[in-house]
Amino acid sequence: MRRREFLRLAGAMTGVLLMPGMVRAKLSESPVGRNRLRPPGAVPEELFAGKCIRCGRCVEVCPYRCVTMLDIRAGLHAGTPLVLVTEIPCYLCMKCVDVCPTGSLQRVDQSGTRMGLAVVNRFQCSAWIGTILCRTCYDKCPFPERAIRLEQLRPVIVESACTGCGICTHTCPVTNPDGSKAVNIEPLQAHRRVLG
Amino acid sequence: MKRPANTGVLTAAAPLKKTGKRYRRIRLAVLTGAFLLIAVNPILNYFLHSHFLQGWYQSFSVGKLWFVSPLEGFESLLLTKSVYLPAIIGMIIPVGIALAMGRVFCSWICPVSLLLELFDGMRRAVTRKTRLRNRLLVAKKVLWFTLLAELLVSMVLGAPIFVFLSPPGLIGRELMMAVFFRSLAIEGLLLVLIVALEFLTRRFFCRSFCPLGGLLAFLGIKRKLRVHVQSESCTACGRCAGVCPMGLQPSLDEGLSAYCWNCGDCVDCCRHDALTFRWS
Repeated sequence: MRRREFLRLAGAMTGVLLMPGMVRAKLSESPVGRNRLRPPGAVPEELFAGKCIRCGRCVEVCPYRCVTMLDIRAGLHAGTPLVLVTEIPCYLCMKCVDVCPTGSLQRVDQSGTRMGLAVVNRFQCSAWIGTILCRTCYDKCPFPERAIRLEQLRPVIVESACTGCGICTHTCPVTNPDGSKAVNIEPLQAHRRVLG
Repeated sequence: MKRPANTGVLTAAAPLKKTGKRYRRIRLAVLTGAFLLIAVNPILNYFLHSHFLQGWYQSFSVGKLWFVSPLEGFESLLLTKSVYLPAIIGMIIPVGIALAMGRVFCSWICPVSLLLELFDGMRRAVTRKTRLRNRLLVAKKVLWFTLLAELLVSMVLGAPIFVFLSPPGLIGRELMMAVFFRSLAIEGLLLVLIVALEFLTRRFFCRSFCPLGGLLAFLGIKRKLRVHVQSESCTACGRCAGVCPMGLQPSLDEGLSAYCWNCGDCVDCCRHDALTFRWS
């Protein structure tokens, strides 16, 4: 009887390991994506799930309430912090970095932070398609003239200086039906995958 | 007070002591205090922006003094194969306590313990029974299996599961979610399951299925503080075995084993002063 139960348990565990690849991929899929970013100073995404102990102190300390916590629907990444910049962007106060007990968020300069990279969709941006002279993102950027410049009154992101804080995304007046904006923060892995 | 009829002879030798609840009272006070500590800090953090008290029992901070739960911190270091000094320093005090006193976190601090104590109290009040029966017994050694399985599965998946599903952490997280996001996370249903399992056996989860308890028990194998029996005054009445939430028999020296969590319930219930905490 005990042996039978053990075999049953072992069978169940192999079942989990041999689960259809799709289900497993879904379970371990990273929640980071367009406008969904880790707090500043985060270690590379491959390490994050293993390093973070889900203590929630970054969520508690954030004065802007921009750091939210994922629940079990995020699979293996459940409990990890995420910044949804279309809701509340990160104002780079760096308080979450100071309280992280595991080094999942590591100390960086405000200007050295790379949460992601802003990308202007030139087919949607009002300034680029020429409907109005909008320069909201340029006005709100914490690093004006460094991270966002105006070229012929149209916003251009300077990739070497953009921190990916998402203030431009949050403030952009153009909202698509899927919730994205005319300027979006793309996670850095995507950027690296394209440009090598 | 109802007295067992067959202890008449012994009563003559040593008068029956009325059982006190010394340790139990202190323990419930400590449990309540520990719960209030994590219940109050989301409120302080959210409404007053005071970050003096922070976190819950995965990582807790009082000012600059940080605590990191040993299992969670250990897994984080193990999975990323890196050393991060603040995490290790944060684990010193909890590990030290576990080395000296065993699983006292579980019985004296853990918010799940408080929840289950309250549930026990309610059950006693409803059923009017002083002893709660254990209907399903699992070998105590399963605790070590749980600990190993947790570490292995975490290493296979590359992400620690227990850090997320740990019931003591879950209570803290639910409190924080309630204050910060005005919602509760679904994984809190696990707590309901743990409470439901109490109908089968007292502390069903804590006994053999809590990986954190497993690690603390492992650290506490050579602990200093234990429940000792004085065999000359023990009458083998079996009260302590009925009272022990972990299903141990302190009168048979099981208070010395790694599975004892030093709650002191047996010491309280003994009428012959045969059980005592001793530091050795």
